Amino acid sequence: MTAGEPPAADDVVWGPEPPAPLVRPFLLTAGRIAGGDSLVPPIPIETQVIATDVGLATLDAFAFDQHRDIIMICRQPQSLAEIAAKLRMHLNVIRVLADDLRSDGQLALYVPQNGSARDTSVLRRVIDGLRDIPDSRGRVRER
Amino acid sequence: MVFETSPTPGAGSVNDEAQGTQPPLPVKMVIAGGFGVGKTTTVGAISEIEPLTTEASITSVAAGVDDLSHTPEKMTTTVAMDFGCVTLDPTLKLYLFGTPGQERFGFMWDDLVDGALGGLVIVDTRRLDDCYAAVDYFEHRQIPFAVAVNAFDGKVEHDLNDVRWALDVADHVPLTVFDARERGSVRDALLVVLEHALATAERR
Repeated sequence: MTAGEPPAADDVVWGPEPPAPLVRPFLLTAGRIAGGDSLVPPIPIETQVIATDVGLATLDAFAFDQHRDIIMICRQPQSLAEIAAKLRMHLNVIRVLADDLRSDGQLALYVPQNGSARDTSVLRRVIDGLRDIPDSRGRVRER
Repeated sequence: MVFETSPTPGAGSVNDEAQGTQPPLPVKMVIAGGFGVGKTTTVGAISEIEPLTTEASITSVAAGVDDLSHTPEKMTTTVAMDFGCVTLDPTLKLYLFGTPGQERFGFMWDDLVDGALGGLVIVDTRRLDDCYAAVDYFEHRQIPFAVAVNAFDGKVEHDLNDVRWALDVADHVPLTVFDARERGSVRDALLVVLEHALATAERR
């Protein structure tokens, strides 16, 4: 059940499109969706996700490779967006799966604080951090 | 190693000492503008990773309908979205999301933009009208943003005042010129947005 398994050559009709995964997203999410017109506010895409000890200990027990893949790459903190990109799955599918794994105690989700976008201390930290980034000639910004 | 087994949503990591398992506080900015204007180049110039692409859903609103009585048709579309990130320090990580750009559609990026520190609208002066949708969107959502003219080959074909007039952006919206390929230039354009966002937040 490998998502990236190439189909037989005869199946390739649509050119450069990647092969469809053998397990369809709706099966994995049991038909649930996130975002879009869903009534549940979607989990922010920058939410940080980390595998828990429980998740890592039960790696071999997952019925679906996709669940195991998520736990595996979340040994390091990742955003939902990074998980979706690296596993080549739709962001809204990752939202549902990550929330499932969180309910089961296998992932920890760190949702960004509400209102941090208008928090002057956060803004100042980002400004200071960016100023320290050198340009391609190694120069940082004057403070 | 100790992992949080049931973290409270909203419990950020700002005040916690990083212990390796404590994630950084994620913050994000949105890079918007028309198709082919240099959004992904901008993200790639400053991102510490090669820009990644993910599929996301956005609501598109058919635009360009002259008859105002006509109800715009809304639909959810899956689009490819490029993004990158910069670790500012071990406790703070900045994500840069490029809005998917397509002409003739107004997009509602709420799902991507909610909680963003600000937006950078990239403009190609040869195709000014490509960025109207982005300017309108940020104005409507009251998200601090700046307009940045991408100086392809270091040349800007129009005076900035002409650009401001043509785009009809308010005087308080910063307007700058930058080079999407140059890290220091992208950094400075982002700083223009953030300093505007900080000034706006301080007035509240």
